[in-house]
Amino acid sequence: MTTVEQAEYGATNALAQRRRRRRHRRGADWWRHVVGIVMAIFVLFPLAYILSAAFNGEPTLVSARLIPEHITLDNFRQILSTHPPDPNAPKADYLRWYANSIIIPGSAAILSVLLGSLAAYAFSRFRFKGRRIGMLGLLLIQMFPQFLALVAIYVILLETGDVFHFLGLNTRTALILVYLGGAMGVNTWLLKGFFDTIPAELDESARVDGATPSQVFWGIVIPLATPVLAVVALISYIFTLNEFVIASAILQTSDHQTLAVGLQGYIADKYAQSWGSFAAGVVLAAIPPTLLFLALQRFIVEGLTSGSVKG
Amino acid sequence: MAEVVFANVDKVFPNGVQAVFDLSLEAHDGEFLVLVGPSGCGKTTALRMVAGLEEITDGELSIGGRVVNDLTPKERDVAMVFQNYALYPHMSVAENIAFGLRLRKESKDLIAERVEWAGRLLDLTPYLNRRPKELSGGQRQRVAMGRAIVRHPQAFLMDEPLSNLDAKLRVQMRADISKLQREIGTTTIYVTHDQVEAMTMGDRVAVMSEGRLQQVDAPQRLYDNPANLFVAGFIGTPPMNLLEARTASDNGNVSVTLAEQRLALSEETLARYPGVRRAEGRSVVVGLRSDDLHTAAARPDLPTMTARLELLEALGSQSVAYFRVDARAIRTEHPVDEEADAESADAEGVTATRPNLAVSMPAADAVGLRIGSDVELGVDVAKAHVFDADSGAPLR
Repeated sequence: MTTVEQAEYGATNALAQRRRRRRHRRGADWWRHVVGIVMAIFVLFPLAYILSAAFNGEPTLVSARLIPEHITLDNFRQILSTHPPDPNAPKADYLRWYANSIIIPGSAAILSVLLGSLAAYAFSRFRFKGRRIGMLGLLLIQMFPQFLALVAIYVILLETGDVFHFLGLNTRTALILVYLGGAMGVNTWLLKGFFDTIPAELDESARVDGATPSQVFWGIVIPLATPVLAVVALISYIFTLNEFVIASAILQTSDHQTLAVGLQGYIADKYAQSWGSFAAGVVLAAIPPTLLFLALQRFIVEGLTSGSVKG
Repeated sequence: MAEVVFANVDKVFPNGVQAVFDLSLEAHDGEFLVLVGPSGCGKTTALRMVAGLEEITDGELSIGGRVVNDLTPKERDVAMVFQNYALYPHMSVAENIAFGLRLRKESKDLIAERVEWAGRLLDLTPYLNRRPKELSGGQRQRVAMGRAIVRHPQAFLMDEPLSNLDAKLRVQMRADISKLQREIGTTTIYVTHDQVEAMTMGDRVAVMSEGRLQQVDAPQRLYDNPANLFVAGFIGTPPMNLLEARTASDNGNVSVTLAEQRLALSEETLARYPGVRRAEGRSVVVGLRSDDLHTAAARPDLPTMTARLELLEALGSQSVAYFRVDARAIRTEHPVDEEADAESADAEGVTATRPNLAVSMPAADAVGLRIGSDVELGVDVAKAHVFDADSGAPLR
């Protein structure tokens, strides 16, 4: 931004503030507070409820109060300990699920950023036959929800598993691969849009300076695209973390399952629902995405907006 | 250091547009060659072909005696300065300058020494640790220069490097770049659309238009002996006055009729443009530099013509007066626009009154000139240029 623009921006900003203050005096913006409070309750209520359920000794949801009568860590002991307080409850591999839910979405996020940016770089910088068709194809395929292909994916994995054991049903690698394919379209479009805003002169300058295409990619484009890479990684991570349909079809034994699939087991049994364990599991499961979000926050605000406006 | 030679080079883009036609041109070893022309004339495309950023459709391009048609930019060992500088925003000034050396796996000591040298040469030493966005336009420009010179490449390629600077800085950088090039002595091809830049900086200037090389020569010779109407109209400020006229001969005395006024051509002019004698009765274009026209009062010795004063621009010691005479003006830079102008002129009668004769004169001569009045002008006929109206070629 030039100084003049900054000055102008400052001026309009001051004007807007003055207008806002005037309106405030007339009390015309009370409804904003109402909307804000309603939204806050809407967002915070489930959070409060699940926290309450996690620390509540009562096994049922219906009889429990929002503020528990006695706070207990039994639910956490139940899912984490090898000698749980209630030995009759169904055996669960919570820690394994937890590990799986870091490994699978983590690798899916890293690999999809890598694959997506390679594809996006080609679409953004090279002119080749089928470029337009390729872009449109990616978009079109993306229009169909991935679980429409569930039957096909299931059969493919069933067959490949005979040849490559590590790519068969009930393996984590297979699930990661399926997620990678599913996320290609959106990621590539998002990244291509950002790469297009990096001036091609930078690439050309680097090439004349003696860089190979891969040196241009790693040395110039990737460092400049970190904000959007962070966004894509986070989106992929959150999506794969929450994904249930495909994961439950592919991961069949308990020790390979993710949190989304495993935790569902606590509440699937109609006569033995353990909402307490479920709630405790969910609270712990929220820790990694929260940490990741905090770590990448700096990039995300930049990344979500910077692709939209040039300069 | 090396010479850069274009031999019958063509460039056709994949969409079928031909940007460069049969270009044959040589930048000698150590020479500062300027490619100049209006936008879209193919000069930047020609430069990018040298850099290896555009493929060569046909012909041969060699750098230092080596044909480089199929070599990558890296293998060509040239350095390029871009119009928007193209500095790497995530690197410091020093890292920007060192980038090319680092890619060539030069030793750390050598890189440090070269960066220090370039920084000193370009007054960038205090800024070496800053990021490009913390620099002014002129400083960024110098970083881009630094990135080019540290590698000691075979040739420098510069694509309108000064066009993003303000007028004052541009004049200063013009001198700085010329001086730097002379000190380092590296062959340089410099692209610009600004003919003043071309004239002041180039050892030789190549004028291009519509993908074709029009003329290549030293600046002064380009000014004195334009090879065609385009060069005549393009080089010089204000541009040469080009007016349609008819030739006539009377007992061996050749004259041109310009705006229904007869001007006898001197022997000097005829010696330079002997073709005029053969073009008797034909339509020609007479070119008159604004410096070769005077008020009749200032130069009573010259043959005169009458013109109506439309506009007077005072530049301090000099004034430029714009007159209107009743002759069709030939504009070479935008032939398409000219046609459109002519049409709208018929419709509205507006551009028909646009001045078509510029005269530079000492400010003292302009005193007393009144806008809208008819003024007697002395024409230095000996310095006139005469071109064929159809082909645009000089009548030599």
